[in-house]
Amino acid sequence: MQDRGRLGVLLVAPALAAVLVLFVYPLGYSLVTAFQAKGGGFTFGNFAKAFEFYSVDIGFTLVIIGVSTVLIALASIAIGGYLTLGENPRAVALLRWLYRWPLFIPFVVAAQCMRTFLAKNGLMNNTLVSLGILEVEQTVGFLDWRGIIITFVWKQTPFVALLVAGAMASLDRSTIEAARNLGAGRLRILFEILVPQIMPTLVVGLILSFVTMMSVLSVPLMISGESPTMMTVDMAFRINNYGDYGTANALGFISYLLTAACAWVYLKRAVRQS
Amino acid sequence: MKRNLALFAIAAAFVAAPAIAQQTTLNVVTAGDQNMVDYIKDFLAPRFEKTNPKAVVKAVGTGPGDSGSQKIAEKLQAQKGNAAWDVDVAVIHQKMAGDLVREGLLAPYVRDVSTGRLVSSEASKNALGTNVQGYVIPMFQSQTAIAWNPALVKNPPKNYEELAAWAKANPKKFGYNGIKGGMSGVAFVVGWVYANTADADKLMKGPYDANTKAKWDGALGKLKEFNRSVVITPGNAGTLDMLNRGEIAMGPVWVDMFYTWMADGKLPPNMRLQLIGPGMPGQPMYYVIPAKAANMEAAKKFVEMATSPAVQAEGIVKKFNWYPGIDAQHVKSQLDDKTWNKLFVDVTPQELASKGKVFPIKPYFDDILESYERKVLN
Repeated sequence: MQDRGRLGVLLVAPALAAVLVLFVYPLGYSLVTAFQAKGGGFTFGNFAKAFEFYSVDIGFTLVIIGVSTVLIALASIAIGGYLTLGENPRAVALLRWLYRWPLFIPFVVAAQCMRTFLAKNGLMNNTLVSLGILEVEQTVGFLDWRGIIITFVWKQTPFVALLVAGAMASLDRSTIEAARNLGAGRLRILFEILVPQIMPTLVVGLILSFVTMMSVLSVPLMISGESPTMMTVDMAFRINNYGDYGTANALGFISYLLTAACAWVYLKRAVRQS
Repeated sequence: MKRNLALFAIAAAFVAAPAIAQQTTLNVVTAGDQNMVDYIKDFLAPRFEKTNPKAVVKAVGTGPGDSGSQKIAEKLQAQKGNAAWDVDVAVIHQKMAGDLVREGLLAPYVRDVSTGRLVSSEASKNALGTNVQGYVIPMFQSQTAIAWNPALVKNPPKNYEELAAWAKANPKKFGYNGIKGGMSGVAFVVGWVYANTADADKLMKGPYDANTKAKWDGALGKLKEFNRSVVITPGNAGTLDMLNRGEIAMGPVWVDMFYTWMADGKLPPNMRLQLIGPGMPGQPMYYVIPAKAANMEAAKKFVEMATSPAVQAEGIVKKFNWYPGIDAQHVKSQLDDKTWNKLFVDVTPQELASKGKVFPIKPYFDDILESYERKVLN
């Protein structure tokens, strides 16, 4: 018995060591250095600097990611809903085949594509102009905050939609049929029968998306050079131009807090429900 | 038959093994874009391996901009206590060179290299205020300038003042990449501060005085105003992309990137350059050898080859459109006039001499960037 216990420890040791060395240690290290002055003593100076320089960017980050999360929720409910309730089998099959594609494209590639697609004289506007929908003078570039949101929504929607569609497909269809028999429209079935039942799955998907988007550097860097910008860009700038890990880690700490708050809301909800 | 072949292969591997063991692997680590890695891997390495059959050159890139140099510095700092370091030759930006010399992480190798006598430029002695003579040989000299589209601009501005007036009269037709998206934007901002304050000389030469930045409010206020009528582009390449698509008519670029993009067909061939007054900064990249490089002798030979007039002419000037790192007269004789003149069509050697500035010394450099964040972005 004791041998088996030891064997268990031995089996779990490599994984545990990897987590400790590659995750817990750097996390702890970055938390500690956020409170460290250049000389080594304890300080709140890094946070003071982070707020003095980047408070606008912190707000901007939250707004961008908040808006993106809402749009992702709507888009993934729409996709999941159509896959579950759609009546045209060809359209359903086509959507099922199409919607997952962005899942397999890395953020940096998505950003690179959007950069040429959304520019003022980019692919999108050129197509619209050649179709006669827009005049050349009317075109607007989206390489600013709007481009960041478009890229995030495009990239993250399939992930949430995958979870949502899966959850919707596994629901008991008798409730849907009952509602249908009583004359409920598809939209009403979606929002009153389907969405409430898959809410926990939707929220998990959105939280994971939120956290992922908080950590993306390539998209804001490649899509928009404008200011305000996102916190990840500021962190990279602090390190690359000043070698200032203190302020960068303070910003990192703030983004942990933001994601932690988000996770806490979810956990509280989950506890209450159970 | 098959089995014989397999045995033969194994035997051959054994015979070859000692030869491999005697080979030295020269680790050449470079900051900068992919083109730097390609240059070392595809251009320098085969040449070096041809004359030094026992050496294998391994090119490693650490990424663009100062962050690339920062990574090299961090790698050397981390190995400080070891007997031999695994970086034999490094290519770094100017900003990091001073730090590395002060920390004693570089070898004073220039006296042992014959091409060391071919360099006398200011950049080979002074890196943003630190004396680096003896520790570095410039690989190339790079310069920023304003690229402009003759289809949209008739008379390009000659200095920062004219440029500001032009941008106001032509809203959203000038674009630059701020300070967080790459060095061409940073260079433009530095040039702006040189042009709009009385401190240019002091910023370039020192000595540092922490109170100087208090006098920049006017210049930065004007820059904030200027930013309202320009486009902020996503990165060095973003500026070139927008020029190419005709979305902007003018923007600061690196001269070498400009010519390379043009040669690749990514910019219309009618685009022009203007080095505006009082001047815009440029910077060299340096070949350095770490103090405890594992293959010191091979490293010296490598740098000697890379800074020889023939390689500088063929690789640096002809292939990559950079200005040579060693003194120009040694390189010019290796090239036909046409190739040489191509470098100086829009920016004449006289202009380059009078308006090609250096970046400020490091503490002022940091002050300019922080003041920009504080006054222009907030």
